[in-house]
Amino acid sequence: MSILGTRVLRAAEDPRFLTGGDRYIDNLPLDGAVHAEYVMSPVAHARITGIDTSAARAMPGVLAVITAADIDLAPQTTSNPRVPESMGRPLLATDTVRFVGELVAAVVAETQSQAIDAAEAVVVDYDPLPAVADALVALTESAPRLFPETESNLALFAGFRTSDDDDFFAGCDVVVRERLVNQRMAVTPMEARAGAMWWDDAGRLHAWSCTQGAHGTRDGLAKAFGLEPEQVRVVAPDVGGGFGGKMGTYPEEVLLGELARRVGRPVRWAESRTQCQLGLYHGRAQVHDVELGGTRDGRLIAYRIRIVQDAGAYPSGGVFLPYLTRLMASGVYELERVDAQIEVVVTNTTPVDAYRGAGRPEATAAIERMVERFAVEAGVDPAEVRRKSFISPDAFPYTTKTKATYDSGNYIGALELALSGAGYVQLRDEQARRRAAGDDGRLLGIGVSSYVEITNGDGSGEFGSIELTDDGGAIVRTGTSPHGQGHHTAFAMIASEITGIPFSRIEVRHGDTDDVPRGGGTGGSRSLQAGGTAVYRASEDFVRAALDLAADMLEANPDDVVLDTAAGAFHVQGTPAIARTWTDLAAAHGGLRAERDTERSAGTFPFGTHVAVVEVDTETGSVRVLRHIACDDAGTIINPVLFDGQVHGGVAAGISQALFEHFVYDVDGNPLTTNLADYCVPAASELPSFERIAMETPTPLNPLGAKGIGEAGTIGATPAVQNAVIDALAHLGVRHIDMPCTPERVWQAVQAARR
Amino acid sequence: MTVLAPTDLDGALAALAERPDATVLAGGTDLMVELNFGHRRAGVFVSLRRVRELREWSRVGDELTIGATVTYTGLERGQIATLVPALAQAARTVGSPQIRNAGTIGGNLATASPAGDTLPVLSALDAVVVCASASAGRREVSVHDFLVGPKRSALAAGELVVAVRVPVLSGPQEFLKVGTRNAMVISIAGVALVTDAARGGLRCALGSVGPTALRAADAESFAATAVEWPSRRATPEAAIEFGRLTAGAARPIDDHRATAHYRRHAVEVCARRAFERVTLR
Ligand SMILES: Cc1cc2nc3c(=O)[nH]c(=O)nc-3n(C[C@H](O)[C@H](O)[C@H](O)COP(=O)(O)OP(=O)(O)OC[C@H]3O[C@@H](n4cnc5c(N)ncnc54)[C@H](O)[C@@H]3O)c2cc1C
Repeated sequence: MSILGTRVLRAAEDPRFLTGGDRYIDNLPLDGAVHAEYVMSPVAHARITGIDTSAARAMPGVLAVITAADIDLAPQTTSNPRVPESMGRPLLATDTVRFVGELVAAVVAETQSQAIDAAEAVVVDYDPLPAVADALVALTESAPRLFPETESNLALFAGFRTSDDDDFFAGCDVVVRERLVNQRMAVTPMEARAGAMWWDDAGRLHAWSCTQGAHGTRDGLAKAFGLEPEQVRVVAPDVGGGFGGKMGTYPEEVLLGELARRVGRPVRWAESRTQCQLGLYHGRAQVHDVELGGTRDGRLIAYRIRIVQDAGAYPSGGVFLPYLTRLMASGVYELERVDAQIEVVVTNTTPVDAYRGAGRPEATAAIERMVERFAVEAGVDPAEVRRKSFISPDAFPYTTKTKATYDSGNYIGALELALSGAGYVQLRDEQARRRAAGDDGRLLGIGVSSYVEITNGDGSGEFGSIELTDDGGAIVRTGTSPHGQGHHTAFAMIASEITGIPFSRIEVRHGDTDDVPRGGGTGGSRSLQAGGTAVYRASEDFVRAALDLAADMLEANPDDVVLDTAAGAFHVQGTPAIARTWTDLAAAHGGLRAERDTERSAGTFPFGTHVAVVEVDTETGSVRVLRHIACDDAGTIINPVLFDGQVHGGVAAGISQALFEHFVYDVDGNPLTTNLADYCVPAASELPSFERIAMETPTPLNPLGAKGIGEAGTIGATPAVQNAVIDALAHLGVRHIDMPCTPERVWQAVQAARR
Repeated sequence: MTVLAPTDLDGALAALAERPDATVLAGGTDLMVELNFGHRRAGVFVSLRRVRELREWSRVGDELTIGATVTYTGLERGQIATLVPALAQAARTVGSPQIRNAGTIGGNLATASPAGDTLPVLSALDAVVVCASASAGRREVSVHDFLVGPKRSALAAGELVVAVRVPVLSGPQEFLKVGTRNAMVISIAGVALVTDAARGGLRCALGSVGPTALRAADAESFAATAVEWPSRRATPEAAIEFGRLTAGAARPIDDHRATAHYRRHAVEVCARRAFERVTLR
């Protein structure tokens, strides 16, 4: 029986994680290590007129204090050549600070407490400049300018149109328009950032990094220090969550290498939650001006979206987010005309980068919100609008107007499964009953969201290898870099499936650039399809090589030898009694090994439909999610336990964006949500038990048939919940409420509609 | 950092008298946050954890004396919960199980945060705070005088909250709170309502909508006549009016958690609902 598709528990990783783990950077013993602490700007925008480090230097235990004047390291810039060079981020602020949390100085001391105390003793004179924390305001003529060298705060503009028709909305009986705010989110991993670095006598840099990709960090550090990649070793031990925010190489990390070089000792750093809220790049932060048109009977025709991306103070990964939003703009619909325009703008806030979904949730949120907005205006059931406008299941591969080629899909299938699983018709009846009863206290809302997204969007290949151990087990190596997802379990299952080596005897290694030669890390929901495929292919090669060796041992023709994966043994076809096991093979041919780099291939397009059922208290505005039904199709499921886990975490994050989380700045750029009392991540008590409906449409693009599932839950859930809240209030005249739909906002919307 | 750990009340008071620079440490759920944020410096601490007298509670007649280091878990379970239900309801809304196991009623009083969840209940109950110091001995302060302003109490230097005394009333009680999520949240508005069937009235206090817990005096006098005592019958219109009057007592501010407007509205809704729950149609 195949192990694939079965509910194998996460035996390799969970016991350690659930008991606190023992390999998080801040827990790891490191002989002779000293501690770094960064001085962060407390103001959003100011000229630095002086930095006095003398008091800090004189503090007990202090080994070094550095400012921009002491270092010669290049600023960090984006890879997008259209963004002005002058918008690069200096590792330590030179003459200007541009957001609260920007690094101004770094301190190294014998202990962490000494370092923190000394950091407080660094005196920085700030001459305040007017600040701008709102992207739309930053685009106005009179807005304070972040970079005097540039003409405006616009970092990048990109237009795109599939139609030059003068009349973009020709043929549309109904056109709806709305401004949607996809609010700024703090990534909030359980483990805040940490690191440790030291240089060996040969001039090689050793780094422990809490990263989503050890090789990416290695390359980032090598580039920063002008080294060859081989001169840097990066190890990512246990990493407590990343959600996209831990993909890049942060200034804090590069500086750690610089500090270690200066003091000639290992330097360790672990930030506080508040520092993490300010320093770890934020997510989302887009404003959309959206127009959607279609026929009166509910067929969608034309869609226009203006995407304003708040990049924060220094354009970083935030620059690529709106491109993904644009790529996925038209979602699951067959449209005649699409127009999507991108403006990336700098503001006096923490830079913005990838966060669970990275540009795709924004696309889905915009169009799925507008579909329901359109449905209300046209007087057609939103499910019906979707049925009428979906790309048909026989149209795949399908190239959209924004030039995405969807590999496979069955959008109508997922919609119908989700609707029947939810009992959509009965829910609408119950909603009507409550409305008729005038029961305004507990209105029922039903929200739908049908999404398609792209995983392993850059199509990158991945490294995988498998090696026979002396006792007949195997070591699998992968270039992906799990931080909670369960790759140990998934990849051991794949290797076991192909080789017949028992699951429990396969060890999965990752995240050490000396142990794994290459890798793209874990992000963009790429790991299973890219990394899993590499392990799959390497395992096939491994078995082929083993067949030759086994044939030798069996004194048979290799063509006649077969592998019985159930027994984990080789025998001549027809004579299973005379067999050679993997253990026999290991004894005779130690070190058997195969590795594979999979080719680049196009991204895959998971899809699905989520239905959220909420109850809204119109008096207080509070929203309770009663049910959340998710039909996510990410191709073949390798392990339903892992799949569920990704969906559950994703849906929780999605509900959270719809209802709770929002990183807030005041008009002067002061952050107001720098701790978890004010930044509202939900607890279990805010979430219902999720209902998952299985659907598997394999992708033809890889042998596993698998697409990514890491971000789909978030992408599908957010608009479903937001739509449900607004749906509950539709009969009162409420047409839109921006996220997060907090009690106060909901209540205000009700008040405004009643006025 | 020095932590002194006296085992009885006299020892604790003596320690505080000897070390005027010392800070009292109970559950640490407020204090440790202040230390972590650097709002307070590490120095000398007098831990109350081992002081037996402060952990106990007792009932004499119709009065309950609750020791300062009784935790939220202690308040929400067992007999206290049936004797003073609103206090138990408030305790249940605090933090998480870990916070409720550590945090104490004395700490909530001494912190005197406008958002302290037991404070409106204690205010509605007209509680008496028992304080003591080595030099001045024991004194009893009405909770209304004890709570001076935001994070300001009537505690003198070297003085401890020893206990708080509350009446055992007959009749239902309610505590309702609005926050941005169900758990681990600083409340946006809170309403405590206790009925006193014997004396024919009810008392209502508000949290998070003023510098300290506020009493809704107008609403209380309205209820004295609008409710039929002791049957506790009241009309739906009375509930609406009660909510309106209670909201009138709120003195909320705008901040990033909520606007003053919404806070006042939340008080109105909570007060009305609490009123409906403690009265009969
Ligand atoms: C995550 C989290 C969630 C929270 N949620 C809530 C909530 O929902 N509602 C709420 O009201 N509060 C909440 N709090 C705040 C806190 O738990 C309470 O205020 C608690 O009652 C404090 O009690 P403690 O014993 O921990 O006090 P400590 O932290 O030990 O002390 C607090 C202050 O009071 C002084 N003090 C303590 N005891 C005495 C005494 N007997 N005599 C004199 N001075 C004393 C201390 O010196 C200190 O200044 C939360 C805190 C955290 C960290």
